[in-house]
Amino acid sequence: MPLLQVRDLAVEFVTADGVVRAVDGLSYAVDAGQTLAIVGESGSGKSVSSLAVMGLLQSPPARIPSGSITFAGTDLLTLSRKQHRAFCGEHIGMVFQDALAALNPVYTVGWQLTEALRARHGLTRRDARRRAMELLDLVQVPAARQRAREYPHQFSGGMRQRAMIAMALAMDPEVLIADEPTTALDVTVQAQIMKLLAEIQAERDMALILITHDLGVVASVADTVTVMYAGKAVEQGEVQRIYSRPAHPYTRALLRAIPRLDHKGRQLDVIPGRPPDPLHLPDGCAFHPRCDRAEDVCRAAPPPPLAELPGGGSAACYFAVEVMADGKPAERAES
Amino acid sequence: MGRYLARRLLQGLLTLFLVILLLHLLTTWAIQLNGNPALAFFGDRVPSPAQYAAVAERFGLGDPCYAQVGNPCLGPFVTRLGDYLTGDFGTDLRGRPVTDIVGTAAPNTLRLFAVVTITWLLIGMTLGSVAARKRGRLTDHGIRGLSIMIDALPVFVMLLVYRYVLAVPLYTWAKDTFGSNSTVALLFKPSFSSDHPMITVIVPGILLGLTGSAAFIRLVRAAQLENYNSEHVRTARSKGLTERHVVLFHIVRNSSIPVATAVGIVFTEALAGAVITEGVMNIYGMGGVLWKAVRDSDVSLVVGIVSLLAIVTIVVMILVDLLYAALDPRIRYE
Repeated sequence: MPLLQVRDLAVEFVTADGVVRAVDGLSYAVDAGQTLAIVGESGSGKSVSSLAVMGLLQSPPARIPSGSITFAGTDLLTLSRKQHRAFCGEHIGMVFQDALAALNPVYTVGWQLTEALRARHGLTRRDARRRAMELLDLVQVPAARQRAREYPHQFSGGMRQRAMIAMALAMDPEVLIADEPTTALDVTVQAQIMKLLAEIQAERDMALILITHDLGVVASVADTVTVMYAGKAVEQGEVQRIYSRPAHPYTRALLRAIPRLDHKGRQLDVIPGRPPDPLHLPDGCAFHPRCDRAEDVCRAAPPPPLAELPGGGSAACYFAVEVMADGKPAERAES
Repeated sequence: MGRYLARRLLQGLLTLFLVILLLHLLTTWAIQLNGNPALAFFGDRVPSPAQYAAVAERFGLGDPCYAQVGNPCLGPFVTRLGDYLTGDFGTDLRGRPVTDIVGTAAPNTLRLFAVVTITWLLIGMTLGSVAARKRGRLTDHGIRGLSIMIDALPVFVMLLVYRYVLAVPLYTWAKDTFGSNSTVALLFKPSFSSDHPMITVIVPGILLGLTGSAAFIRLVRAAQLENYNSEHVRTARSKGLTERHVVLFHIVRNSSIPVATAVGIVFTEALAGAVITEGVMNIYGMGGVLWKAVRDSDVSLVVGIVSLLAIVTIVVMILVDLLYAALDPRIRYE
């Protein structure tokens, strides 16, 4: 049985305009030592699903009408909110996108790193200070002793994100969820942070869930990829297969949208249109208005189900096998 | 930090100078328009010019400029400033030194303020926190409605209602049940007693504190709401901390920054409220003395006490700014 398994998860938000289904029937699994990348545009439900795992959704307006989230045999959704959060505090660490906003400005970094250890495990101040320095060393923050006494605003962006990672690691979690950990950073710092995450993950044999909108970032670190669109998983599978032979037109379009050095001077490929309004999803496949492969069957209900692909993985497209056979996602179809 | 403090202190001195000047000009014009208070000393009798001059001299109002409407009387102003600098704050119309009066009155005001501060901090923090926690629910609407109702009832209305409607029956009941010197009876005593200065200011203090707490409740609520949905609170929750811990260390602590700023504002409001409260409840405090001094046209007492209150206000404002820096590590005064 996988370490963390999400099955058929749905998350809804009750708003004044109606009920929004932010996550619809999402399933995935990660094992120790594995990295799962969840990829999608803003509003695709990738962050919401991880907040649901952590028990961090505000309820109301959020509710979870169906699904299960199982960590090593415990279904987190059957726990009370209090138990759920306490459980995740012990076993699942979370790294947030914008470390400046996600860290409390009025406490020192060292204090925040060990806050849970002191509050929940009764660490003494001295032990906590030592642990804070260990953690900062682990994420390669230089001059840890002095840095632990500084405030988040005194850290640079990259250092702040390292501190954020150190904080998520404080309880030695078995799973680490990183929600767009590099989005707020410079490109060079992005690479450093990704490398650090991969190193730490390998060293601790931890499961890592990497949430990102950038397929380029995940290529080198992920084992499996889940691509989300409008709250649904549209493609799942091994990272190499997805990169070489994507089966969903949306995945293919995402891969084409990665800027490439050898395409210097050419216009960037973009996906036309914008993500659909979650209150008014189009009939049929939610991606069809932006899809270059759409036919009449895509426009008619019902939306295509997530189906197994020959050779492993799955995709939610009527033409998955043909799209896969097209191959060469990096080349533009028309050029 | 040192330089900042020095600059603030200099600013404070300038403010103080302007307050004293303004007070001087206003009292001077009041005397010029309404007649010299020295005349009141003689009652119905008409004094001889020599008698009048002697009394006016004793009141510090002997300068002929007090008889010339529109004259700013800068001479006496300079004299007064000089006296203040040497620690001489003059005497009231009966010849009692202002410092002596303040020495007796100030402790009672301090007692009143202690009760006021505890009341509004307690009520404001508690109700504000509860309202923020229960946002949008009945409790929240109830608390906000209550705070607006308190705002709509000025402190003097509350005091008059208490004094003339509630205090007498309560006092009579307590006296009959527990004896006239019991704690309960003294608590409801309709006016201040200098033998029991602490216990008799409790109810007026609570009423005055209640009026200050209205704005405070709404401020605490708004400040905490901002933090409830902030990302750093979500991070704290992701660490598996109990909601109690999160509220205490991340929501209340972070919302204390804007709340500290409000302390200064509420304090000055309470100072004004103290004048009314002490006046209505016959408390022998700074406000009560000022209330009476204004009615008696006791110029040196008015100027002396208002100057003192101005000093207190300026010091509180500086302290609030320093507190602000202590609460928020992002704020540093060079």
